[in-house]
Amino acid sequence: MALFEPSSLGLFRDLVGEDALPRPKPLIQENRYSGADIDTHATTVIAVKYKDGVINIADRRATAGNTVMYDQAEKVMALDDHTLISISGSFAKSVEVVRYLRHAFKYYERSQLQPMSLDGKLQELSRVIANNVPAALQGIGAFIPIVSTYDVAGDGSRIFFYDVLGGQFESADFGAAGSGSGPIRGVFEYIIRTKGPFKDMERDDALRESLTLLEIAAELDTATGGSAKYLPAAKYIIADGIHDFTPEEIKAGLGRN
Amino acid sequence: MRYSPYEWNESINQRNDYIEDKLKEGSPVVALSYDNGILLLTLRRSQRKIYEIYDRLIFSAIGNQSDIESIRTGAIDIAHREGFSRSPDDVSIQRIVGFAVSPSIKKIYADPYAAPVVLRALFAELGKDPETDQYFIVSYDGEFTSNRKWASIGGTNYGESQMLDHLKSTVGSEAPSLAEALKASISAWAIGRMQTDPEAVADDTEAAEDRAQDVKAFITERLEEGWVVEAAVLERSTHRESRYRQLKETDLFEAISASGTA
Repeated sequence: MALFEPSSLGLFRDLVGEDALPRPKPLIQENRYSGADIDTHATTVIAVKYKDGVINIADRRATAGNTVMYDQAEKVMALDDHTLISISGSFAKSVEVVRYLRHAFKYYERSQLQPMSLDGKLQELSRVIANNVPAALQGIGAFIPIVSTYDVAGDGSRIFFYDVLGGQFESADFGAAGSGSGPIRGVFEYIIRTKGPFKDMERDDALRESLTLLEIAAELDTATGGSAKYLPAAKYIIADGIHDFTPEEIKAGLGRN
Repeated sequence: MRYSPYEWNESINQRNDYIEDKLKEGSPVVALSYDNGILLLTLRRSQRKIYEIYDRLIFSAIGNQSDIESIRTGAIDIAHREGFSRSPDDVSIQRIVGFAVSPSIKKIYADPYAAPVVLRALFAELGKDPETDQYFIVSYDGEFTSNRKWASIGGTNYGESQMLDHLKSTVGSEAPSLAEALKASISAWAIGRMQTDPEAVADDTEAAEDRAQDVKAFITERLEEGWVVEAAVLERSTHRESRYRQLKETDLFEAISASGTA
């Protein structure tokens, strides 16, 4: 019984034990690591800043090898009222990670009576990714997220992206991850050079440009779903919190009416 | 050490007197279902009193601050461990209070060598609609009772029943709006705080208008003395990640000015 025992200072992994961390035991014990396996994070997720906040969009296809498993996957998920995580890689693992992080952040806030700092949250995420490295090296359950947040007290919108080892990088304007992000990298540069940075755009313009990027990714990458059957997931964060784009806004952004 | 039945009875009575004497000064807390959620309200001097436990659980208590903290953090630990290893839907007020909080308090209460827990706690669980909201009140001896629609904790039983009577007479059968709930609970708080003891109430039969004036004057006085209104809600429908929200002064202004200084 946890009652009347010293408090855990809001450290969720102490409460549930290290075993509860999203980190499956490697199935294969031999050292047959292959760098190529790490790149199997099939999807495309995109985060771009705009004038008043930050937009996150993602395709909705979940694959296993060459098979399309699911075409309504939700890859843009809220971690708290001002933070979105967009996931590329193992979908099952991602859902587990998000569940873990949500509990960890809320547990801290509720028990310590103050929200966890942005750096604290990012540190927790880096740790989860780093813990996953052995599994990722063996090609099971690699995932690479993009985190977007709106810092109400400080710097406004911010975008962080990661490498497979949990290394964290901050981006000034946009971030993309997943197998479809490579082929469209040059398009980001082209848009910025011809139309100016995303962070100066209006919301509708930034949505339209990022949806175009996602459509190109879907054409060039088999693991990225198109928008014909189900609309892409699209959310944005502004000072008052996270909002969904309406289906009408997404259709308009895709040039359909 | 062995107890005779007489000594056992004596020791329990002394414990009760000791605890009840300490609880008497506690500032009451009023809980009330409104159409879009649950409202908890109190007036306090300094220390915060209303806390979020889990997605649909809210908590407040009067008593020793250290005991309140133990129960609060304990309940949060259990709720989060359970919600993570199973599902948030499995974290229910019945399980938290009935199987974790109440037995722990009872164990300490029954131990003559342990310092008793000085506390009267209120847990509330948000349901799908006002009819399914649940309120549990846990006492220092581990006993608990459950309520629907509203609940209150105060320094004395008399004060608590006065608050419930007031809520019953001001809130109709339909769940009120948040603004109505705020007004009803501020005046219920004042009634509970004023009438801790039936002996101390000079004239219980005074006209209703006079009584309403007294309540207003009482609230105004407290606010002038530097007390602040603390109110928090669990919202039934919200686009935010948390249902829990502390009401800001601007949210409270209308209710305070209607109940107090007017």
